[in-house]
Amino acid sequence: MIFLDIQYQFDWSVVTDRWRQFAEGAWVDVWVAVLGFGFACVLGLANAMLRTSGVNLFSIPSFLYVQVMRGVPLYVMILWIYFGIANVLGINFTSFQAMIFALALTGSGYTTEIFRAGLVAIDRGQMEAARSIGLSRARTYGHVILPQAFRIVVPPLGNTFIGLLKGATLMSVIAVPDMVFLANELNVTLFTPFEVFAAVAVILVVLVLFFSAFVYVLERRLRIAT
Amino acid sequence: MTGFLTYSFDWSVVWKSLPFFERGIGITVRITVFSIAFSLVLGLIVALVRMTPGPIGMIGFVYVQVFRALSLYVYILFIYFGIAAVLHIDLDPFTAGIVSLTLLNSAYMAEIYRAAIQAIDPGQREAARSLGLGSVSTFATVIFPQAWRIAIPSLVNQFTDIIKDSSVVALIGAGDLMYQTIERVSFYQRPFEFYTAVAAIYLVMVVIVAQLAARLEKRLQRHLA
Repeated sequence: MIFLDIQYQFDWSVVTDRWRQFAEGAWVDVWVAVLGFGFACVLGLANAMLRTSGVNLFSIPSFLYVQVMRGVPLYVMILWIYFGIANVLGINFTSFQAMIFALALTGSGYTTEIFRAGLVAIDRGQMEAARSIGLSRARTYGHVILPQAFRIVVPPLGNTFIGLLKGATLMSVIAVPDMVFLANELNVTLFTPFEVFAAVAVILVVLVLFFSAFVYVLERRLRIAT
Repeated sequence: MTGFLTYSFDWSVVWKSLPFFERGIGITVRITVFSIAFSLVLGLIVALVRMTPGPIGMIGFVYVQVFRALSLYVYILFIYFGIAAVLHIDLDPFTAGIVSLTLLNSAYMAEIYRAAIQAIDPGQREAARSLGLGSVSTFATVIFPQAWRIAIPSLVNQFTDIIKDSSVVALIGAGDLMYQTIERVSFYQRPFEFYTAVAAIYLVMVVIVAQLAARLEKRLQRHLA
């Protein structure tokens, strides 16, 4: 075989002996993504309310914010916060904080649009009907509007989380010790690039497919019967 | 490091670095254009495989699920270091970047094509077949030209992701826009000015492509109005 003249000596023990370290590294990716996603949801909901307020003073900056957050690559965002903003404000972020901020900002561009779509999707007649049968505004939101909006926003929010989880694998560029950081270190010291990066790839695929399956089940359960 | 809000900005370093930005943008655009072209073709092939009934379709399904699940950085590390070491080949960062972007985006584009093809009324196919067209020419002359129109806006939106993701190839030294920026930052020690500038450049590129998508969408749906 001319094409597959493989002289590479595979040594999977590099990975199997360190499965615990890989699992711990993967766990860092997951929880940093979860925190980033949490903040992205808070920012996104607040911003969506500004966006749908009907007041130009709020809705125009909110629109521009979404365009900027969605137009700037995550990698730029990470370095901008960790080096740029830190430099200007004269404060030191830990690399964890910088990564969570970067994911939160990037994610908020997407979550804003999702919450906005959820809020405008509920027919105004629902509000009018609820109010006319005597429900207060707060109760209308709590019992009528939000439960319906929730069904609409959960599946796309799940997809945003998965996107942020994939983005989280960039955190080793500012030396957050996640699974990619570990793989890079092992590659440099032991020169086993195939094994360590294959391990990272497999872990990431398993994580993403797990969360995708979760979102899929949720989507089916929340689907409004028509 | 300066104190709180006593930072003095110096944007002149950005202007002085314009030739570097220019070179970087050139490489970023080339990487993006090649990746777009290859993933458009590969994505269509994957979509057709995915829509084949039986075990072949299963392969397409698995391809989409797995290739969509990886992040570009993991692709780049695995291909540029892992695959290159096993196959004993010297990949240059430019090629590794294009291969990575193509594999990742072919999976996304396959789903866009599939949705578009499935949106075409089955009656179209039945009518074409009953007129005596073969299955290949039915697809090429009847189904695909219609599905293509539906797919284009989503495909162009996918291009914006390719532009943004291409920044990651800087990590293996591809000489792209992000790479040049990082080089300039270490030269001038002005991270805020440079990263703000590069964010603006990426933003402009993304907005241009997104505007293009919006216009195309309007144009392509003129006949439906």
